[in-house]
Amino acid sequence: MTFQTYEARILEVKELTSREKLFTLRFVDPELNRSFKYKPGQFVIVDIRGFGEFPISLCSTPTREGYFQLCVRRVGRMTKYMHKLKEGDVVGIRGPYGNGFPMEKMEGSTLVLVAGGLGMAPLRSVLWYALDTGKYEEIYLFYGTKAYEDILFRDEIIHLLKHGEDMNCHVKLAYEVETPSCIYLEKGYSPRVCKGVVTDLFRGETFDVENTYALICGPPVMYKYVIKELLDRKLSPGRIYMTLERRMRCGVGKCGHCIVGTSTSIKYVCKDGPVFTYWDALSTRGLI
Amino acid sequence: MRYVKLPQENFEEFFNSLKKWGKVYAPVKKGNIYSFQHVEKPSEIAFDYTRTMLPPKKFFVRPKDEMLRLKGGRWEESNGVEPIVLFGVHSCDIHGLEILDKVYLAEPVDPYYKKRRENSIIIGMSCMPDEYCFCKSLGTDFAMHGFDLFLHELPDGWLVRVGSVKGHEIAWENEELFEELTEEDMKNFREFEEKRANSFKKHLNKEGLEDMLDLAYNSPVWKKYEKICLGCGNCNMVCPTCRCYEVCDLWMNAYEAVRVRRYDSCFMESHGLVAGGHNFRPTRLDRFRHRYYCKSYFDPSAGFNCIGCGRCDEFCPAKIEHVKVLDEVREGLQ
Ligand SMILES: Cc1cc2nc3c(=O)[nH]c(=O)nc-3n(C[C@H](O)[C@H](O)[C@H](O)COP(=O)(O)OP(=O)(O)OC[C@H]3O[C@@H](n4cnc5c(N)ncnc54)[C@H](O)[C@@H]3O)c2cc1C
Ligand code: SF4
Ligand code: SF4
Ligand code: FES
Repeated sequence: MTFQTYEARILEVKELTSREKLFTLRFVDPELNRSFKYKPGQFVIVDIRGFGEFPISLCSTPTREGYFQLCVRRVGRMTKYMHKLKEGDVVGIRGPYGNGFPMEKMEGSTLVLVAGGLGMAPLRSVLWYALDTGKYEEIYLFYGTKAYEDILFRDEIIHLLKHGEDMNCHVKLAYEVETPSCIYLEKGYSPRVCKGVVTDLFRGETFDVENTYALICGPPVMYKYVIKELLDRKLSPGRIYMTLERRMRCGVGKCGHCIVGTSTSIKYVCKDGPVFTYWDALSTRGLI
Repeated sequence: MRYVKLPQENFEEFFNSLKKWGKVYAPVKKGNIYSFQHVEKPSEIAFDYTRTMLPPKKFFVRPKDEMLRLKGGRWEESNGVEPIVLFGVHSCDIHGLEILDKVYLAEPVDPYYKKRRENSIIIGMSCMPDEYCFCKSLGTDFAMHGFDLFLHELPDGWLVRVGSVKGHEIAWENEELFEELTEEDMKNFREFEEKRANSFKKHLNKEGLEDMLDLAYNSPVWKKYEKICLGCGNCNMVCPTCRCYEVCDLWMNAYEAVRVRRYDSCFMESHGLVAGGHNFRPTRLDRFRHRYYCKSYFDPSAGFNCIGCGRCDEFCPAKIEHVKVLDEVREGLQ
């Protein structure tokens, strides 16, 4: 049934920052667990039975089967409740929903991932998918974060700062708040780690525009600036993918909350997206 | 299409026969307002009604609707659909239901809507426009499908169009109540339709409407109406094609909860609100404009998202007129 959710058990809860937790889950029904397939960029609806539902991106990669992961920021009622859950607890899940990133189409190309804050969650799925499959020329990750303490998946990021080059994976990190930990990190990996915002990481970078795709996820204000950097470097709007957020209730194009656009073009972020190209943004007002 | 005649003297018997197909709902007058209500006999029906406040959508997408029921930690489908006969639906409202069908019956199918649609019989009825109607401009003034039977008023009865298999079944079972159409009936039918076509007072210029509106994104007309509109959302509640809903869980007692959905309105500030207080449509201007864009969106397979029923005008406490707003926006562009 369309709105029926399926029980998934929490295998592990990991505190990523003071606000974000990583939940590793598996469907209680082993058959469902086997048949659950998704693409980087897709999302699920989490159902805390008797309390409500909310959309969350899948931040794990489909290349690692048997479980899936959600990175949840505590911002309000539902996410606060979610943060109280422990290993062994059960939540409802429906999905996956949305179109996801066109991973197959991008094979053989260079990927530039641009993440701001929580935007790292869906892009982590792309990152590990690309690393696991090895089907991409080169991977760049430009990640803008508030402070050292806010870096999501910090261990993984630091690991890639150290060893990424061996896997053609180049990580660059911008932080805004200067703390000893950041300065220490900057010392070790300068100029790949620096103080500033995510667009500062573009300085000095050029792309082979024929063979590069950019994938963006971050807070609403970020898109305009990042897109400008990419267009300045002559990347085609069709090679710029972004994943967007809207209020969502149904996740399947019924409840109307995520509708954007005008009389000439209306899009549902939940089913036409959440991944859109910059062409879409040019033809659908209000997308970014 | 099959066409037959239902003489007025057979109407009551025909009406009574409908009860075996389901509970019959028809327009009823309450004060100055019409609404679809359960009726037992033809004398309760307001045959000359203009429009009901809530469109027939209320039978398929309820203002408040239970989806799931939580029992012992598990959701169970809330069920119980009663077969219904909607008698006296105007053409525009039939088009309205077809627009809802496009959304709710698209994959993944909305199970609640589908079940109710399958358990309903739609009997259309001809009408005369009033000062609010502009369905003719939108081509929704005549229904070619989307009904089981359609009754067109004749001086001495009804010309009936049979529009579906179920419609055929109903006609079949009542075969003795119907007659063949005469030349006279057809002449009367044509005259009624001509008179009706000439009675529209309101016209929407839909030529290039989508592009015109899109170009007028920054029109001062939106700003003018931002100040007049009360943001009450009435226009959404009464619109046959508005269908935004909100979902919430409610506890019935310590052991049982229900998941309920209810009408939402894009005029509510919370409509575009996401975590952290970010709002994608923060001002009334954004919300007012959004509604007009949503209603004037043209889907090549379904037409506009407006059927010209005039409900939003009649029930707007600020007396905002849909067509007038669109005309002003167009004028502002020239
Ligand atoms: C496609 C998509 C992917 C997302 N991915 C992630 C992710 O990976 N990690 C993460 O932490 N957050 C993600 N979010 C945001 C997340 O859905 C919201 O943070 C969450 O719904 C907030 O709920 P709340 O009750 O805790 O917050 P409150 O602010 O208390 O919310 C109040 C009400 O608004 C609703 N609400 C608030 N924001 C949203 C929203 N964006 N969509 C739908 N309903 C909303 C809530 O359900 C709640 O009923 C994503 C949102 C979308 C649309
Ligand atoms: S916008 Fe107004 S006239 Fe158009 S369908 Fe809705 S209520 Fe009727
Ligand atoms: S009914 Fe009228 S006043 Fe109320 S929100 Fe709609 S346009 Fe505004
Ligand atoms: S979330 Fe309901 S329509 Fe997109």
